[in-house]
Amino acid sequence: MSQPLILGIETSCDETAIGIVKGRVLLANEIASSVQEHARFGGVVPEIASRAHLEAMIPSLNRALKAAKVSLSDIDAIAVTAGPGLVGALLVGTSTAAAIALALDKPLYGVNHLAAHISVDYLTHDKAIEPTIALLVSGGHSSILQINDITSSITSLGSTMDDAAGEAFDKIARVMGLGFPGGPAIDLESKNGDSSAINFPRGLTQAEDWRTRPYDFSFSGLKTAVARYLESTPHYKKGDVAASFQEAIVDVLLQKSVAACAATGIQSLVIAGGVAANSRLRELAEQRCQDAGVQLRIPSPLLCTDNGAMVAALGSLMSSAGRPHSAIDLSASSNLSVTTVSV
Amino acid sequence: MSITLAIDTSTSRTSVALISNKSVLWSEYEDGVTAHAEAVPRLVQKALVINDEISQVIVGMGPGPYTGLRAGISFAQAFAWARNIELRGVCSLDAIACTAAEYIAATDARRKEIYWAHYKDGMRVDGPHVNVPTEVRGELFVGEGAHKYGLCSTSTYPDVSIFHLLSAVDQPMYLRRPDAVPTSER
Repeated sequence: MSQPLILGIETSCDETAIGIVKGRVLLANEIASSVQEHARFGGVVPEIASRAHLEAMIPSLNRALKAAKVSLSDIDAIAVTAGPGLVGALLVGTSTAAAIALALDKPLYGVNHLAAHISVDYLTHDKAIEPTIALLVSGGHSSILQINDITSSITSLGSTMDDAAGEAFDKIARVMGLGFPGGPAIDLESKNGDSSAINFPRGLTQAEDWRTRPYDFSFSGLKTAVARYLESTPHYKKGDVAASFQEAIVDVLLQKSVAACAATGIQSLVIAGGVAANSRLRELAEQRCQDAGVQLRIPSPLLCTDNGAMVAALGSLMSSAGRPHSAIDLSASSNLSVTTVSV
Repeated sequence: MSITLAIDTSTSRTSVALISNKSVLWSEYEDGVTAHAEAVPRLVQKALVINDEISQVIVGMGPGPYTGLRAGISFAQAFAWARNIELRGVCSLDAIACTAAEYIAATDARRKEIYWAHYKDGMRVDGPHVNVPTEVRGELFVGEGAHKYGLCSTSTYPDVSIFHLLSAVDQPMYLRRPDAVPTSER
């Protein structure tokens, strides 16, 4: 069989995103974001996001087909994010995908958003690196995973006990008045500061933590420490706080990821998810992985944030691996576990 | 032969019908307040076995609880797009059947409110609106929302088999703005 042509639909949060992939070649990656509509609320408003998905869907599909220079009848299968995410937002995607699958009589793959974030790496490399350790960091999730087969076998080694890394970025950006979304704002502000100016705490890195929960994260202590620092330091330097906070998060994420590589003997690390677009994380990861002899892969920043290409990529891998497709009446799940690759 | 696929997800009932010219070829429903997104593809899959030559899709644009409503509209617009056929929206309340000369059709809007419209001699003369039931004046009420608040004795739902007779509506009828307070007003 020739390489499958897959249409991917992603609507788990505030991006209406369509990707088209042929085998491992990215043909289109169209993203319509409602992020500007959420900014004045300081976070994503689910109902606003869902309404925006419904409006943006057909224009986005048309743009993607045009960009990919393919016609709808050439599509071999449809892949859609079935979770985790905002349920109202997810359902716009799954309903759209089911309709297209029925209209064209093509198979439908309901896939995991988190697994899709990691699969996007397969679009930029010819060869899979499996097994690999994956650090998945986004606005809703922070986990260290062991990937034996991206289409069927993902094991969670650890995850956050409280906030996700991206959520911590958003909250600190809000208290510092840097705006929403917080990740890019703090990344930018950090360029004006000294990352070693303030020694903020690194959560779950005590000797006891390394024994009992080596790959779990906690960012709530860090958040409190930053808030206290801001309160007690009237003339604080924004750049220093942003850079020191960012350093504390990035440091812990990488310490634990590299430790997971060493402990499992898997000398390969993929970093994925929206926070993987953070410039300091990318820079420090290069350095730490080189020192530890770990092969590192991070998708380009555009492919790190939510997109349809990653969903199409996972659909393509599922199709090529001969995995069963989903039922036409698949259920979207807001809290789909990272270990459930497809529904 | 011109075949219409009619879909409504504006109430707790998900209804799908195939209409050929003026007769109903097939019609089926599933009940469940959170089951719309699964029910629509299941029902449409059955419909396509009866007749796959769809030339038009008509969908209920509400008013109705948002998430379920959007499952129907998302499906309808994508199906019409994929088949390159006409898509039309209608006001779901217009399809709640009543033979009386004057009545209020009401569906459940949650939060102790109803979506309603006032009909006279077969025409919608007021609405749709969303209000608490006690604010809505009328002699005769029909619909799931009216039944829930004891304004009528049986529950009736939008009848998708008459969707082709209703006037067109362009946008989803949300009637409420999203609940959200800007950070500047907190």
